[in-house]
Amino acid sequence: MESLASQLHLMPETFWMIAKLAIVFLGPLTLAALLTWVERRGSAMIQDRVGPNRALLFGRWRLLGLPQLAADGIKFFLKEDLVPADASPVLFWLAPLLAFLPAVLGFAIIPFGRSFTQGGHTYHLSLLDPGNGMGMLYPMAIGAVAVYGILTAAWSSNNKWSILGGMRSSAQMVSYEISMSLAVVAVFMRAGAYDPEQIIAAQAGLWNVAPQVLGFLAFFVCMFAETNRLPFDFAEGESEIVAGFHTEYGSMKFALLQLAEYLHLVTAAALIVTLYFGGWRVPGLADPPVLLSVAAFGAKLVFFCWVFIWVRWTLPRFRFDQLMFLGWKVLLPLSLGNLLLQAWLMRRGW
Amino acid sequence: MAVLVRKVELSWLDRTYVWPVLKGMAVTIRHFLKQITTRPSKRYTVDYPDRKRTPAPGYRGLHELKRFEDGSIKCVACFMCAEACPARCITIESEEYGDLNRTQGFQEKRPSVFRIDMLRCIYCGMCEEACPKDAIWLRDDYEQSSYDRLSLQMGKWDLMNTYADRDRKPRIDRDPTPTVPHHSVLPEEP
Repeated sequence: MESLASQLHLMPETFWMIAKLAIVFLGPLTLAALLTWVERRGSAMIQDRVGPNRALLFGRWRLLGLPQLAADGIKFFLKEDLVPADASPVLFWLAPLLAFLPAVLGFAIIPFGRSFTQGGHTYHLSLLDPGNGMGMLYPMAIGAVAVYGILTAAWSSNNKWSILGGMRSSAQMVSYEISMSLAVVAVFMRAGAYDPEQIIAAQAGLWNVAPQVLGFLAFFVCMFAETNRLPFDFAEGESEIVAGFHTEYGSMKFALLQLAEYLHLVTAAALIVTLYFGGWRVPGLADPPVLLSVAAFGAKLVFFCWVFIWVRWTLPRFRFDQLMFLGWKVLLPLSLGNLLLQAWLMRRGW
Repeated sequence: MAVLVRKVELSWLDRTYVWPVLKGMAVTIRHFLKQITTRPSKRYTVDYPDRKRTPAPGYRGLHELKRFEDGSIKCVACFMCAEACPARCITIESEEYGDLNRTQGFQEKRPSVFRIDMLRCIYCGMCEEACPKDAIWLRDDYEQSSYDRLSLQMGKWDLMNTYADRDRKPRIDRDPTPTVPHHSVLPEEP
């Protein structure tokens, strides 16, 4: 590490920061791109189909349909960048960025491996070092900002379908934020801190999912609502409001909105892993080697990304009143009950 | 007809919604694992241009006009197929051939023109049903496409050679016996 840094004439800390920046930015981005492939081929396999497999790399290699990603990317770049005549041009241009940035930012706090000491320096495997005072409140706050991206996209399109989709999805995200936060508060209470490093440290023996099954269930369902994934993807709805908030979007702007959805998915999976599944912890190993801890985190992350896709192709979309019923009358009491239960258990000293 | 809607009483386990979702996810993952472990050649979807499907026996594909071993056409130009054709895509013009009319007093007929408009044909197989001589068959070639409309107007020699390569028969382009000049009355003996 230090020799590599000195070869580049950089301080080890600076070098490490740049390396982490590259990992944290490019890692989820690559994973999100791959997830679009997993979604298409995986859904095909679930439905006994074959899926897109005709795109060839240099007209020769099929690679399980992976060149389709490159083909789609090139296509999105080369498409005409249309802005509807009556759309608000500035907001229309800004909305994909507003949707994209929170999705990338959320991952910065997540520790993706065990901290280690080398040559007198302690290296933390998360972009924001522990003890920064924001802790897990940061991804929650950033996640709440994601509503603005969708709402701005819907509003600036000046389209009835878009505005309906945007309204639906913002109503849904706001209602599910409450039960999500309450479920997370129970985790904070148990760990006695809201720093991810300490939350993971508190899960040393037993992962949070075991003592807080109800909280996990509420949080997990809320994550589907927050990421606008099926069965709660009310921002869209082909039979009702065409493509919802991105009806008017095309070319690279559409690609950014789509990528933001998958980045949200990756961040949501990372949050689930950190809060309930012990982050980088390996079962049965108190102090895993650094590379193993990174691999464990990656495996859990990929598994939960797959669960998101798996659920999408299992359940149909809810009705909107069912969604509101579930959010306010089921999940809110559930996470509130979990909070009270954990508080009572802690008072009893369990 | 009135349908009696029976309200199903869900058990508490089903009403939690969690257990049924888990059961549904078990179904989807079973399909996923089954499909992903099936070899591409065994899947329901035939990867068409790379793999081709063998049609079932009795499939009605491209027509063939059958021939005798000497290469003469079996068709006797009776027009039954043209009459039976619901799409009216068969055009036949007949001619006489051989010297039977000289010796036996009747004529042998064959088509001089036998044209099927493949763009009109609906592959119903009525011509095959109607044929008294089993001279037209609908076989299993389903790949008929062309860059122009004219090449889908298939004539007598096209139709006689449609499966020649497959059956290892020579491609032919003329009748073994010449046609005779048209007469309806027997010529006088010299």
